[in-house]
Amino acid sequence: MDIIDLSVVASDDANFLEYLDQLCARLGFDFASYATTSPMTGAVQGYANYPDSWKMHYMRRNLHRVDPTIHKSALSIAPVDWARFERDERFRAVFFAAEDFGITPQGLTVPVRGPYGDRGLLSVTRRCPRSDWDKLKRAAIGDLQVAAVHLHDAVMRSDVISRALRQPRLSTREIEVLQWVAAGKSQMDIGDILGISHRTVEVHLRSAREKLGTLSTVQAVGRAIGLGLVYPR
Amino acid sequence: MIFIIDSLNLHEHSDIVKDMFRLRKRVFADRLGWDVQVSQGMERDRFDELDPAHVISVDDEGRVVGCMRLLQTTGPHMLSDVFSSILDGEPPLRSATCWEATRFCVDTERLVSGRARNSISYVTSEVMIGAFEFAMASGVSDAVAVIDPVMDRVLKRSGNAPHGYLGTPKPMGKVTALAALMDCSEDRVNRIRDFAGIYHDVTQPQTVMA
Repeated sequence: MDIIDLSVVASDDANFLEYLDQLCARLGFDFASYATTSPMTGAVQGYANYPDSWKMHYMRRNLHRVDPTIHKSALSIAPVDWARFERDERFRAVFFAAEDFGITPQGLTVPVRGPYGDRGLLSVTRRCPRSDWDKLKRAAIGDLQVAAVHLHDAVMRSDVISRALRQPRLSTREIEVLQWVAAGKSQMDIGDILGISHRTVEVHLRSAREKLGTLSTVQAVGRAIGLGLVYPR
Repeated sequence: MIFIIDSLNLHEHSDIVKDMFRLRKRVFADRLGWDVQVSQGMERDRFDELDPAHVISVDDEGRVVGCMRLLQTTGPHMLSDVFSSILDGEPPLRSATCWEATRFCVDTERLVSGRARNSISYVTSEVMIGAFEFAMASGVSDAVAVIDPVMDRVLKRSGNAPHGYLGTPKPMGKVTALAALMDCSEDRVNRIRDFAGIYHDVTQPQTVMA
């Protein structure tokens, strides 16, 4: 995704908000929000590009305390479509007035789990017919998963204590694959060289990209070289 | 019929989940001899407390005959912890688009050989179809599954061969355990469907929460 890369810019609130804006623009959503509870301090940290009027309404009434898109979605390993909350009284209570603020209750929350028990939630909404919504969801869901983890990891890294705990730990295989990429080999070649399928190479690459906090393979190789994991050749 | 049960809809299906823990006890404690915790005839561990999703096959008489447990590899999961020996001390993979499948089993006492609805092969295929379709709908493209050699052979025979393995097989109770990689793709689901002759929707639709 050609979207702001939170691993190379300052981890600050402005960049997290910018990330949400670009995510909406790129994937075709009206609004996006992110929330997490710090495993270190217990404080709720959140970002949203909703209209200020809705944010004020939401915060003044402390709706985050009851909002099931936050509390229930955090219990899922899979993205949760808000249609599942239609009969939930608390969902209705939160989104009852949403229409007045131009907010649709048609949304989706992608739950993220980090290695230290930390959990984050990336939510997106879009006002459109249900059939268009289903299509949009199908097209965007893979990108949303990757974006959710990228944003969550960046927010977690912005915490000083967490940062110390988060040195990337790549497996020998992941480093080996990156080393061959650095040597100019294709995924197919690398599979042949290492005697594994090209799909397995792909899985190792994706994992390596994520551990390095990068969005592309080229960038992952660069960073791996910077960390001394891979030798330029 | 496949039920996807997680902490969101657990309260609607508590009987199925208890039955699943009983099946897991018979398979992992009794048959495979794994070092697992059993209490009240049920096998549960701390990963069941981390809000996993369970893919559960229920037969026509309402009995649980197969199951699998799914967790995100971005968070705590078994390969990053108790199964780390399989990875030969290597750090586990971590990917937003890769889920981990553990406690994958079918009820070999109740199921028969062959390919009928009450066969080992049918239920295995049903659980796999349910899990892969759930993963794909969630934007997840890959899975790493901790399985035993018997399950590995069943997968290879049913159009569902893993495309790779992580680490090396390790002794676990009476058998060995290995970490198999599978893509969650239409191709794979179609191969399983063709093998098992399953062409209907296998999964119970997600209910709206009250």
